[in-house]
Amino acid sequence: MTQVQEQDFQPVVGREKRLADARALVEAIENEDSSSEAQLIGELTAAYSGNIFDEVGRMTREVHDTLRSFAEDERLGALAEDEMPDARDRLRYVITLTEQAATRTLTVTEEATPTAEQIVERSQRLKDELAKVAASEADNARLGGVVESMTRYLDSTTRCGERLKGQFTEIMMAQEFQDLSGQLLMRVIDLLEQLEEKLVGLLQITAPVRNAKGEDSKSVAPAERAEDGVGPQLPSAGDNVVKNQDDVDDLLASLGF
Amino acid sequence: MDRNMKILVVDDFSTMRRIIKNLLKELGFTNLEEADDGQTALPLLRQGNFDFLVTDWNMPGMTGIDLLRAVRADPNLASLPVLMVTAEAKREQIVLAAQEGVNGYIVKPFNGATLKEKIDKIFERVES
Repeated sequence: MTQVQEQDFQPVVGREKRLADARALVEAIENEDSSSEAQLIGELTAAYSGNIFDEVGRMTREVHDTLRSFAEDERLGALAEDEMPDARDRLRYVITLTEQAATRTLTVTEEATPTAEQIVERSQRLKDELAKVAASEADNARLGGVVESMTRYLDSTTRCGERLKGQFTEIMMAQEFQDLSGQLLMRVIDLLEQLEEKLVGLLQITAPVRNAKGEDSKSVAPAERAEDGVGPQLPSAGDNVVKNQDDVDDLLASLGF
Repeated sequence: MDRNMKILVVDDFSTMRRIIKNLLKELGFTNLEEADDGQTALPLLRQGNFDFLVTDWNMPGMTGIDLLRAVRADPNLASLPVLMVTAEAKREQIVLAAQEGVNGYIVKPFNGATLKEKIDKIFERVES
């Protein structure tokens, strides 16, 4: 606003009249003629105000045109009504997929850990038993040699078992990513939701223009091109999407593969 | 420290609840229960004779920090040791948790050694 004043607020009344009014105003103030003073101030102000109204009118038209073009931009409608909710569904599905993967991994590590523990425990027990046998048959050199090599083997088995336990714990801890990535995605979903709400609100304000345009607005959004790849499909996707490998195989078979 | 103590693990992500429970089992704790947010945790705590609470911060329903406040405000639970295991890593949050009376604070990602260290520390202080 401040930058346009000089140029736009050219008075609409001629210079002579304004000078005469200004002189009369000075005179009225000197003579303490307050009623003339008020009237002259009014006239001088009026000399400029015509342009202010023009300016407000121009701005109103601009706002109106902007809103109109906003409402007519069908891409925005498609964005708010279809693409943003779809994007949220996709992100939720990512959370589900990572959760499933993490759960599968956890199930396996939970089953594998006791196996590793058993290996450690049984190796140690066997080693102790062998030591007892070796002690009771101390004069049997051949047995002593066998026990010694078996003991070495059982020691290495124990170490392997311990190492496996540690590695299973490590694999389990790595599944922590699911919580962290899930939390991050949920924040993005929240943000999308808020944006969508604002956009829908804005579009509703301009609804009369939009509704007049009818249903075909969606077609303006560039359609996904299967050729370019459209990413993984959601389970809720329609019949044109295969649900599993059997569907794929069936489809291929129907094509003669 | 009593390995038979009753521990409640609260997190909205089942993956994380499972990881924490497995780590606690490795440390020898077997009396474990779980809840998925503060709202479900609080009634369990009120009727369950729990000895230790491990909770996340960011959860729908009732957050971990509100759960901590509710625990401290309840005369029967006020002295329950509480460990937070959370991805919330802002200094002001850790300060706030401390002010509200948390006994330990672990930032995710974490590991079993950290969990053991914090639990040892908490019970050293509680028992002394």
